[in-house]
Formats: sequence, C-alpha cells, structure tokens
Amino acid sequence: MATAMDQLVGFGLVAFSLLLFVYYTIWIIILPFIDSDHGIHKFFLPREYSVTIPVIAGLLLVLFVGVFIVIVMWKNRKPAKKSD
Amino acid sequence: MTKLVQWLCGLALLGTAWATLALDPLGLHLPLPCQQVLWPFPVYLLVAFGCYSLATIGYRLATFNDCEAAAKELQEQIREARADLSRRGLNRSGEQGR
Repeated sequence: MATAMDQLVGFGLVAFSLLLFVYYTIWIIILPFIDSDHGIHKFFLPREYSVTIPVIAGLLLVLFVGVFIVIVMWKNRKPAKKSD
Repeated sequence: MTKLVQWLCGLALLGTAWATLALDPLGLHLPLPCQQVLWPFPVYLLVAFGCYSLATIGYRLATFNDCEAAAKELQEQIREARADLSRRGLNRSGEQGR
C-alpha cells in the first residue's frame, strides 16, 4: 500500500481533474444548447475565457518547465579547465 | 511509414475536418449552438487529454505498492557490499572524489 500522504495526493489529483473535466465539458459542450435566460449561466464565465485561460495556463506551464531546466543546468555546470 | 508521420497525418486530417466545419468555406451554415461548440473544440480536446493524464498520474501514485521486505533486503545488501569493498581496500566508496 502506498503511504497515506501518497494516497491523499493521488486521489486528490483524480478528484481535481474529474472536477475540472466536468466543469469544462459543461462549459464548452452543454451550455450552448441551454437558453440564455436559464440560471446555470451565472456559474460560468463568458465563453471567450474558455479558450484564453487554457492557452495562458499552457504557456505558463511551458515557461515553468523551461525555467526549471535552466536552473538545473546552471547548477550543474562545471568549470572549463581542470583543477590540477 | 513511421509513427510520427502517422500521428501527423491523423492530426492533419482532424485539423482539416475542424477547419472545414468551423471556418465555413462551403457556406453550410450549421445551427448556431453547433458552431459555438465547434470553435473551442481543439482546446477542449487538449484540456480533456490533460485532465486524463493528471488523473492517471494521481491514480497510479495512490495505488503504487511499497515493497517493505524488498527495501530492507536491498539496504542490507548495500551495507554488505560497502563492508566488503572497504575490507578489500577501496575506502570511501560512497564519495564522489571531492
């Protein structure tokens, strides 16, 4: 059995991604078929954000990965000439 | 045909289908809700794939099994190997030559 912390984090990730998927599916696929005077629309942002938010999040992810790689490579650089 | 070319062909096919339906060069005039669903569809597929990846990682993390007995045995073997090497004269086998 994985440790309790691992299980907590793991199932937390599953629940979070499920929630995100359901919200995004309703936003993109189901809302256009619901009349605009229904109350459910006030739980969802305007439709433009359904494209801009994932794109910006993806760019931020790429940025973080790039910065991480730069930091790791910077820490592991060796001096050019030998010490003896 | 390599896997990369296969994937690119599949993506090109899906992209062409999406562009044909969304940019409407043939003047088909789909009903408005269908058009509204269609426009963000590639982003939706990406987000769905991201959610699936995250869920898979989380699930595998939660159900990964520790092997207590094997870990103890491995530690014991490491200790024996260190003792054996230092006995044979190769001291400081754990350091990196600083």
